[in-house]
Amino acid sequence: MKTLWMQSKAESTRMLRNPYFIFWSLTMPIMFYFIFTRLLNGDMPNPGQWQAHYLMSMAAFSVMGASVMTFGLRLVQERTQGWSTMLRTTPMASVVYVAGKMTAQLLLNLLSVIVIFAAGWLINGVQLSAWQWISAGLWIVAASLPFLALGALIGCMKKVDTANGVSYVIYMGLAVAGGLWMPIDVMPSVVQKIAKWLPSFNYADGAWSITDGGTPSMIGLLILLGYLVAFMVLSGYVRRKQEAV
Amino acid sequence: MTTVIEVQNAVKTFRAHTAVDNVSFTIEQGSITALLGPNGAGKTTTMSMLLGLLEPTAGSVKLLGGAPTNRRTRDRIGAMLQEVAVMDGLRAVELIDLFRSYYSRPADRDYLIRLTGLGPDMLKRNAQKLSGGQKRSLGFALAMAGDPDILFFDEPTVGLDTTARRLFWNEVRQLAKQGKTVLFSTHYLEEADREADRILLFDQGRIVADGTPDEIKRTLVKRSITFRAEQPQAVSALMIRKFGETAELAADGEQVTIAAEDTDAVMRALIESGLAVRDIRIDEGRLDAAFEQLTHAQTETNETREAI
Repeated sequence: MKTLWMQSKAESTRMLRNPYFIFWSLTMPIMFYFIFTRLLNGDMPNPGQWQAHYLMSMAAFSVMGASVMTFGLRLVQERTQGWSTMLRTTPMASVVYVAGKMTAQLLLNLLSVIVIFAAGWLINGVQLSAWQWISAGLWIVAASLPFLALGALIGCMKKVDTANGVSYVIYMGLAVAGGLWMPIDVMPSVVQKIAKWLPSFNYADGAWSITDGGTPSMIGLLILLGYLVAFMVLSGYVRRKQEAV
Repeated sequence: MTTVIEVQNAVKTFRAHTAVDNVSFTIEQGSITALLGPNGAGKTTTMSMLLGLLEPTAGSVKLLGGAPTNRRTRDRIGAMLQEVAVMDGLRAVELIDLFRSYYSRPADRDYLIRLTGLGPDMLKRNAQKLSGGQKRSLGFALAMAGDPDILFFDEPTVGLDTTARRLFWNEVRQLAKQGKTVLFSTHYLEEADREADRILLFDQGRIVADGTPDEIKRTLVKRSITFRAEQPQAVSALMIRKFGETAELAADGEQVTIAAEDTDAVMRALIESGLAVRDIRIDEGRLDAAFEQLTHAQTETNETREAI
């Protein structure tokens, strides 16, 4: 237990010191938020709703990115640089290693959500009930698990460069097609149909529902669970195959 | 003396390639043993099996009576791998604290900090930004974090300067005196000769020689006598008559070199024969020569095989 605490602490420290984290997880989403709600906000029928929705989109965008990109890339990096081999010679269980990483990631995701929510409140004075803030925040942190699992799957890749490229494309693809940048209503109907089945759309949709006074839909939750299980099974399978050499 | 490492008929194959081919040895507590051999001889693969990083294809590997993958075993070993990796974003002291938390009876924190040889400002620096040699010293401290009974060093002094190298080996000798067992791999022949109590000579996945550095030299290297003779042909005839094939003679004008197992007997025969010889010199074969001789012989057989 003490090891898990030390491991999570070390991992959180590392992420906080990483300039990419600050840029991708905090600066970028907040910048986008500012641009799309203050500068290009002319023709929205209900600006208050749009500002709250887009705040959720950006929080989801930030947390999804950290989970897919940072988490996965770190796994690849640490394996190619021999760090994970080094750790395997210590008595620390590999479960603790992964659990420490995930705990740290979830804590950092929580921090990102708090900062981005605060930015929304400061920039646009977004008004939500205390209950909505808390449940939307918790939803964004907890429902990021399928993306962590996707990160773990990317973490099985052999080369940092490949993993970097692949995770970037997946991340941006999911963000755009899932309606995190622009509402899916403005997109072609084909994209809209696909979006309904994407984890990114259902992830953000849960938070949008909360800001509208509702709750995340059951079907959305099931889709996210489905992705979680699929990614976990897949990365477990790949990992076993790799270790069998 | 207690046996702390036991390897029995260990084999490791990667697809068609056999990296370690039926290797057996035991190591006693408190000894310093070198795994010596050229690149690709199977040293690192053997060490990886000892560390539980690779599963032997056949045979068994035991550390302190248990499996290397056992967590209780791992609590009592320390390792410095060939490529010293340092987690980015953490400082040297933070890494030391992190590693100490992995073990049930960690080594003294100040002692580990001293082992890194890093000054206060370096200790606070991102460990990734340290130089290669500094990372290696940090790696040594991390290997010592659990106050281990067995230490594994894979090519430990690559990238270290002479001073750092001397400090490293001084410390290792101290540790061995305290009863810790040390196993290291190297292709620096002089290093194995100077630092180890025992050498396991690896070649093509097998142990081809096992003994003290002196023993290895004696079994593998013939001593040689060099001198100048007025009648090299007469010397040659004498050698063939007295020693047959056990002495190898090479003559270059007056300069004669005779390699033989018993150089004393050759010397006696020369003096008794009354032949005019002068400038007699006896050369002891060095381990380097043994090593070259061995690997050279192997290359030749390979070429022969390919020719067939």
